[in-house]
Amino acid sequence: MKPVVKKLLGSSFVGALASPLSVDDYLSLIDSRLSLSEPRGRVTHVVRQTSDSVTLEIEPNDNWQGHRPGQHVLLGVDLDGVRHSRCFSVVSAPNEPMIEVTIKRNGDGRVSNFLVDHAERGQLVHLSPAEGDFYPHAEAPRKALLLSAGSGITPVMSVLRHWIARDEVADVVFVHYARTRDDMIYAAELEAMAQRHDGLRVETVFTADGGRRLDDATLDVLVPDLAQRPTWLCGPAGFMDAAEPLIAARSNETLHREQFAATRREAAHGEGAVRFLNSDVAASGESGSLLEVAEGAGLKPNYGCRMGICHACKCRVAEGSVRDLRTNRVRDVRDTDIQLCIHAAAGDVAVEL
Amino acid sequence: MGKPTHLSKADIAEFGRELDAIRDEVMNDLGESDARYIRNVLKTQRYSEVAGRALLMAGFLPPAWLAGTGLLSLSKILENMEIGHNVMHGQWDWMNDPALDSSTYEWDNTCPAHQWKHSHNYMHHTFTNIVDLDRDVGYGILRMSEDQDWRPQHLAQPLTAATLAAFFQWGVALHDLEVERLGKDKTFKEAAVQLRDIWGKARKQVLKDYLLFPALAGPMFAPVLAGNFSANLNRNLWSFLIIFCGHFTDEVEMFDESETADETRGEWYLRQLLGSSNLTGSVPFHILSGHLSYQIEHHLFPDMPSHRYREVAPKIQEICERYGLNYNTGPLSKQFGGVVKRILRMSLPHRRKRNTLTFETSTDAPVYAEAA
Repeated sequence: MKPVVKKLLGSSFVGALASPLSVDDYLSLIDSRLSLSEPRGRVTHVVRQTSDSVTLEIEPNDNWQGHRPGQHVLLGVDLDGVRHSRCFSVVSAPNEPMIEVTIKRNGDGRVSNFLVDHAERGQLVHLSPAEGDFYPHAEAPRKALLLSAGSGITPVMSVLRHWIARDEVADVVFVHYARTRDDMIYAAELEAMAQRHDGLRVETVFTADGGRRLDDATLDVLVPDLAQRPTWLCGPAGFMDAAEPLIAARSNETLHREQFAATRREAAHGEGAVRFLNSDVAASGESGSLLEVAEGAGLKPNYGCRMGICHACKCRVAEGSVRDLRTNRVRDVRDTDIQLCIHAAAGDVAVEL
Repeated sequence: MGKPTHLSKADIAEFGRELDAIRDEVMNDLGESDARYIRNVLKTQRYSEVAGRALLMAGFLPPAWLAGTGLLSLSKILENMEIGHNVMHGQWDWMNDPALDSSTYEWDNTCPAHQWKHSHNYMHHTFTNIVDLDRDVGYGILRMSEDQDWRPQHLAQPLTAATLAAFFQWGVALHDLEVERLGKDKTFKEAAVQLRDIWGKARKQVLKDYLLFPALAGPMFAPVLAGNFSANLNRNLWSFLIIFCGHFTDEVEMFDESETADETRGEWYLRQLLGSSNLTGSVPFHILSGHLSYQIEHHLFPDMPSHRYREVAPKIQEICERYGLNYNTGPLSKQFGGVVKRILRMSLPHRRKRNTLTFETSTDAPVYAEAA
């Protein structure tokens, strides 16, 4: 949309003509991607690098404000009539016009599995502004370790592409863990990058093909000078838990971590009774996060990512004791907005829902 | 009056369970085709609004004015009845789409959405047809039940009703003010806050329909203004017609507070059924009525997506037959005739008429009696 058109359509005069609907409600008659404020995109390219993943190139509308390397975005799609949003790392570098994401099949992850199986060109996706501070600095370090496992490669690739685009690859070691070679996304691109750039060394370990899991010995062999390298780390929770102490023992340089899918430390369950004040419903807090308890009681709270990122499920707790499922920290709250999806009851809780 | 005496407590509980099962079956089946339905309604409404307003710009030509007014009326009717009313009931919340969210949707009506959700979703749907609790019984200005005190002003209520029909959205807007409570258990200050809120909402429609669009039309100011006024009038008349046929037909039951105290779920269902009446007609007619032509089904399942009432209705009817309950339905002409009769009859001072419900069978002990 031309800025002048956008300014005109966003004026209070046009808003009054559309009232009580929004200008967006009418714009979407022309093209579902059109909006004055919401970032939305259309899938322009679909590639399946491996049998259980899909790589999407998404053309965002002009409400997309861009991203920094390694940031993530909420992708919203309608499945069976219901809008679902999940969080994915943006793989593209900030200077690329398209948003690239790669999605791996994931157990019972409805959005991931739907996109792996059914993503197609032309599909509309709802976007959020990019978030995350995996890459807080503007300057590339002289030496760096990029360490990832599985689909954790995606934010790390974004960092690497950013450096390559700006010709800043001086001495980078990229260590990636995958199950098998066939299983590894971005294998070909990484290989090509390593050939072109002397400053980049790529080490891949295939754990199902005899490769050792990450341990002291492997790390010392692969990255003997780790002490001088800041690290960018992303992978499944088990991998991150194993890697962090190994790195901390060897290097005082900064460790940047991207926690992929806010990891629940244990199966979510709460205790005590939950009262939903506005609906006059009570339920046991045992059956999961407060979001799950509410849904189990027949309520329909707003939600988005269901992993503590998008804040769509934020709701006021009048009073009670809640446990943060990411950290296990328990706190007493009163008249506080909390994210229902990542908190469970740690005693009686009264929610304004 | 009120509830039938031929059903035992156990019968009524079983009746409630059967209705719950029907509800669960539909609610668990919601999906893609339901989403497609409501999106198509949204599109139809928006296209007809855009086309209607465009045609009115050429309103000096009588066919353009008529077509424009017709399309704009269609749009306003669809928006209030099939979209706004139903979205605000939470019928589409399951889609998780912010544009169809009951907590944020605002409709093209002078009544602010949140006041409507209080007076309608809560007061009317909870206390349906309980005289003195359900303020929709006469809206505080009409006498619709023998149990409401007669006052001389009710002699004029055929005229009052006709005026209410023409300005129905304004009646709806002022409804939650609860004028009859003012100076008693509601302060004028509370009402003033509500009034400001209503004006904040209403002036947007007034500005849009009676100033901005006519002004945009330049020399066509008058035809556009007249078209917009007519469209609002048509929507008012239509919604009055449909809504009055839903609860004030001749044979619909009214209840009093004592017989509805400590109601079970089954008894609540029963009151919703007996306090509502349906209209028969074609599918387009049902859509234009916001499926309030299935008033019975709507009152049993207010948060079920409305287009599903069509498939649920025969099952409800079958259950009613088995339990010997009246399923009040008929064509618009018959049902509205009943409404007119009731408005006329209640304008005169008399008490209860005979109970119109007759039950063929009497099962176990008549436990649930009016004497409660």
